[in-house]
Amino acid sequence: MNKLPLIFVGIFLTFTSAWIGLVAYPTLNLANVEPIPDEETGGVLPPTTSGMAIAGQKVYASAGCMYCHSQQVRWAPLSTDIAKGLGTRQTVARDYIREKVAFLGTMRTGPDLSNIGVRQTDANWHHLHLFEPRTVTEWSIMPSYRYLYKTQKISGQPSNDAIQGLRGPHAPKPGYEVVPSVDAKALVAYMLSLKKNYKLPESPEPTAK
Amino acid sequence: MTAGIILLVFGFVILSGSALLAICWAAKSGQFSNITEGAASIFDQDEPVGVPTDRFPVKNSQ
Amino acid sequence: MNSPSLLSTINPATEPDKLDSVERAEIDASTRGPVLLFFGTAIFWLLMGSLLGLISAWKITNPGLFDSISWLTFGRLRPAHLNLVAYGWAVPAAIGVGLWLTARLCRVPLLHAKLLISSAIVWNLGILVGLSGILIGDGRSIEWLEFPAYATPILFIAYACISVWTIIMFRFRKSGHIYVSQWYLFAAFLWFPWLYATANILLVWQPVQGPAQGAINWWYAHNVLGLWFTPIGLAAAYYFIPKVIGRPIHSYYLSILGFWSLALFYSWNGMHHLIGGPFPAWMVSASVVASVMMFIPVITTAINHHMTMKGHFEALNWSPTLRFIVFGAVSYTVVSLQGTSMAIPALNSITHFTDYTIGHAHLGLYAFFTMIMFGSMYYIVPRLVGGEWPCANLIRWHFWLSAVGIILMVGALTLGGLLQGLALYDVASTFRSSIEFATPFRVLRGISGFILMGGQLVFAYLFVQMLLKPGSQKKSPAHFDKSDNSSNDSVAI
Repeated sequence: MNKLPLIFVGIFLTFTSAWIGLVAYPTLNLANVEPIPDEETGGVLPPTTSGMAIAGQKVYASAGCMYCHSQQVRWAPLSTDIAKGLGTRQTVARDYIREKVAFLGTMRTGPDLSNIGVRQTDANWHHLHLFEPRTVTEWSIMPSYRYLYKTQKISGQPSNDAIQGLRGPHAPKPGYEVVPSVDAKALVAYMLSLKKNYKLPESPEPTAK
Repeated sequence: MTAGIILLVFGFVILSGSALLAICWAAKSGQFSNITEGAASIFDQDEPVGVPTDRFPVKNSQ
Repeated sequence: MNSPSLLSTINPATEPDKLDSVERAEIDASTRGPVLLFFGTAIFWLLMGSLLGLISAWKITNPGLFDSISWLTFGRLRPAHLNLVAYGWAVPAAIGVGLWLTARLCRVPLLHAKLLISSAIVWNLGILVGLSGILIGDGRSIEWLEFPAYATPILFIAYACISVWTIIMFRFRKSGHIYVSQWYLFAAFLWFPWLYATANILLVWQPVQGPAQGAINWWYAHNVLGLWFTPIGLAAAYYFIPKVIGRPIHSYYLSILGFWSLALFYSWNGMHHLIGGPFPAWMVSASVVASVMMFIPVITTAINHHMTMKGHFEALNWSPTLRFIVFGAVSYTVVSLQGTSMAIPALNSITHFTDYTIGHAHLGLYAFFTMIMFGSMYYIVPRLVGGEWPCANLIRWHFWLSAVGIILMVGALTLGGLLQGLALYDVASTFRSSIEFATPFRVLRGISGFILMGGQLVFAYLFVQMLLKPGSQKKSPAHFDKSDNSSNDSVAI
């Protein structure tokens, strides 16, 4: 019985260790990851992103995309992420240093987006998909983001930004067109920037069997 | 960034220090010694051991 | 009866001539204003939060629903739902129960209740600001910390005031012995501001670089459950189970050991939400080990509660408080063991990104925590308003709607999540099949949401009735007369 205080002091010290390990350590170490030089192109890895893509991160957060879409490729023995083509290698801390908020995500109600910029390179596809997901994927359960778009009457020349190929109940009437807002353009720029197909020394691509 | 770390260190020192003091105090004042009697400390003369203190409301028979 | 004033033998501070029941009634009465205000606003936000949850549950199976309204998009409804039920309902409910228990166990009245009433108002103002922030698109997409940077300081100030107040009560307590519930309460009231301040400084006000955020995010999000909601829930269970059945806790030694092992192991758990994520392997491994070690405090608590209840299970028939709290205590064991299993990589690789996790969250926050809060309120509110609950059958309805609803919800999400996870894991199956497997279970989840909300509406009705016209006045608001147990005529309507 008299040993109890000693036990409790020990337990308590271990409890604070969690704070050191899970808060202080990442703050001091993981928060100071630097880009590394890219020997092939002379640039840096991960590549710098455009201002539009950075603005798109805010739209991504504001619309709450991360509640259904993860942005992480898990290592091979634990998951089939690489075999299913979500990426060619595991994602590591350095991949996220361009992000204001690292949208790692905890759900895959929708597909992983780590490499969506590699899989879908067409901006118009992204606009179509955001405006009415079911025009490109009929079984999609993604909500539509029509509030990021404006339907306007075509006056003179059709806008260069107008979404091409809209059909279905939400397609504009003849003489009208759907144009993306600044937010929609930023979000698509962010989508197109999501590429983790460069090589990082700490995350080698697994060799094929 | 640095301001954050300074705040964290402060928080850590203050909170862990006070918790440690709390444990020392608890040990000194005998919180861990009379452990069996402690369990009965929520009972008293009017609500002694053996008397339930909650039940469904019952409709008045009037 | 059989042991006259055990307290006076161990507590020299007790005045033997003062009736315990009078003192208790005075202490209960001193907490009336703030506790009822916290409970009332909590129930309001519970209804609002559940409504948002219900809409998002239906949106996921009918994606076309309200889809041109920006503030009703799924990605805003879901965090709004989570933050309302967590900070609008669960935290104020915990504060209310915590304040009442602290005053009772410290045997001191709550002084300057007006200060706490204002902090309750400020807190709810913060919730309103934060909710509007999420709905207009200022949400931060950091799970459990979505409230924008302009809302969190309001919440923190309101909370700090409450924390300080409980520490003051603790400092001036009259009871010599610190009951195990007080350990849990005191620690929880200290831990929460620490957690909340750390997470907000590092993620919201002075955000650290992206990769470090995940670790801090889940350190916070898991610990707010483990070091705030869980201790308050367990404090209530450790007080109400023995108090209601009139029998001391089976092993007091185990209960205190359970407290400290919880503090140790729970705090390391968070990283299991990020297994396989971009973090050093040792961080994740430590979390997996700690998650498995959670077995110790959980089994300790489960055995202790079971042994206390042993031979008294018929009490579930006559005590509404006990019925809810025992349901919650059993759920605590189940949810903790489930959490341990989910951290094990073999199962984690299937369930990690699926509805299974959502089921686990509801099992923890609803089946465990919310049910214990309901049970506590059934005990506390009559002692504050000085009258009995108006209708026993409505309490039964509340219990059964809640119990059936939450079991259905967790069952549906668990099964659906497993199928979804198998489809996501299997290299040969398409992403489409993961949606198709989960869909029927998601419909079932939506239905279970209706059932749960039915229970909440019944409870809200009962609570409003208690405020407006409480049932028959009792001779002493602090406790039921002994005659209440033997004859029916002193408790009415």
